[in-house]
Amino acid sequence: MNLDSLHPAVTAIPIGIAFGVILERVGLGDPRVIAGQLLGRDFTVVRVMFGAIVTAMLGVAWAGAAGWIDPSTIAMPPTDLPAQALGAVIFGGGFALAALCPGTACVAAASGRRDGLAAVGGMFAGTALTPVAWPAVRGAVSDAPREGATIAADLGVPVGIVVVLLTAAAVLAMIIGRLMDSRRTVGSVWRPTTPESVALVLAAAFAVTDGRGPLSAAQTGAIAAEIASEADHVDAIDLAELIKTGQRGLRIIDLREGLDTSTYMIPGAVPMSLAELDTIRVAGGERLVLYSDGGAHAAQAWVLLRVRGIREALVLKDGMAAWEDEVLSPLLPTVPDDSARTRFKRARELALWFGGFPRLVPDESSRSATPRPRRRRTC
Amino acid sequence: MKRPYADATVGGMALGLVLLASFITAGRGIGASGAFAATAGPLAAAVAPGTIESQRALADRLPVVFEPWNDWIVLELLGLVVGALVSARLSGRWRAATNDRSRGRMSRAIAGGALMGLGARLAYGCTSGLALSGGALLSTGAWLFIPLAFATAIAVTLLTRDSRLEGAS
Repeated sequence: MNLDSLHPAVTAIPIGIAFGVILERVGLGDPRVIAGQLLGRDFTVVRVMFGAIVTAMLGVAWAGAAGWIDPSTIAMPPTDLPAQALGAVIFGGGFALAALCPGTACVAAASGRRDGLAAVGGMFAGTALTPVAWPAVRGAVSDAPREGATIAADLGVPVGIVVVLLTAAAVLAMIIGRLMDSRRTVGSVWRPTTPESVALVLAAAFAVTDGRGPLSAAQTGAIAAEIASEADHVDAIDLAELIKTGQRGLRIIDLREGLDTSTYMIPGAVPMSLAELDTIRVAGGERLVLYSDGGAHAAQAWVLLRVRGIREALVLKDGMAAWEDEVLSPLLPTVPDDSARTRFKRARELALWFGGFPRLVPDESSRSATPRPRRRRTC
Repeated sequence: MKRPYADATVGGMALGLVLLASFITAGRGIGASGAFAATAGPLAAAVAPGTIESQRALADRLPVVFEPWNDWIVLELLGLVVGALVSARLSGRWRAATNDRSRGRMSRAIAGGALMGLGARLAYGCTSGLALSGGALLSTGAWLFIPLAFATAIAVTLLTRDSRLEGAS
């Protein structure tokens, strides 16, 4: 039910209106409510926030499990932990001073509160002046924010377990908040905690079913689209350039079987079995390049990683065969045109850099030990 | 007549359903600070051309192209303002009693807003875009942001108590 093809206003305006109405109704446009939360006297913020997170989280989990949506295609903020830690501290300080956050400041202003309008103005000024403050905070910012990084993928824990633990923590905070809030009301009694209990049951049921069933059509469709767009590939020449220029975060993995110490490997590559690859952890800013003899093995390994939610992997197109043909012993075409000459010149430089032998004529007794068919399309 | 606020747990669940609807129909979560970035960023870029564009990490966080009518987050925040205004009017809470005329309160709101503007750009979002939307999608950065931002806010509140905001809630 993605409405991407329509004008953004079609979804943005109704969703924004509902967002504004709810924040106003629960009292989050009132800075005294937020200040009350920060002093531990009013638990509206905790209850609204965790109530919303748990509801949406369980909704995404179950809609994904039912195959209605592929949760990994929903846009989410990137992860850059040092920058987000510093950002959280600066933001938290501002949140305390204003007793409003950016969204609730807009609600406060829209409810006729002048301090809300002042916070909106401050927010706009602070955002516009970010380039001025940048030199002071730049040190915490990393070069490579990680798109789509989740707790489950980063810790190597199943999504279902993460959902259960977060739901349990949020539900506990919501129940404590509800008890604290009901204490303030004269004559209040213990209220049933039905919504919180339902959330826990849904989370537990999701954890039990998660990962048992096959992937949904939405999920496999997204993977198929990535493969079809060849976004999962890197050419041998491009890889050679990356190695030569000392690209940071490059992690080359040799998946061939029966490797021994005398086997030629792409410089910087580490040997790894499929079983070892299956438990790999990918650090921030890392790019995995997988290769095998032809490429079939590496392509299968790519799918394995992608199913686990790891998106930082690339397959060396046509594998070791392409590395030998295109980087180590590039061949000048028999009737070269200008563009072929330019390509050959670039490949020749790389071949010499990597200790290979560029060829001007085809040579059946070239250094590769076993003759191979010239071209393979394995994936 | 001023009506009491709605139950927070029910309100939170309703907000969760709105967030879920946003995930499914728009393919993204709800937010607030992004709309400030989409409008203040182009202004900063016009005043000092090249400053943002020359730094990749900054350009990644602060857009320089001004296209508010096609920008989902700007339109969503406009909707939020309309929704809050109508709701405040209908429930008799328009211009509800607040201490917004005291000078200290106004300068704290401005300074707080400015700090939140910088912090949200560094963190790729605020309590809505990062904590709520990213939190529901299990984003690692969001779950670092939530405890750290709230712990800092509680500490700063205890250190610099503003008695003008106390008592009513």
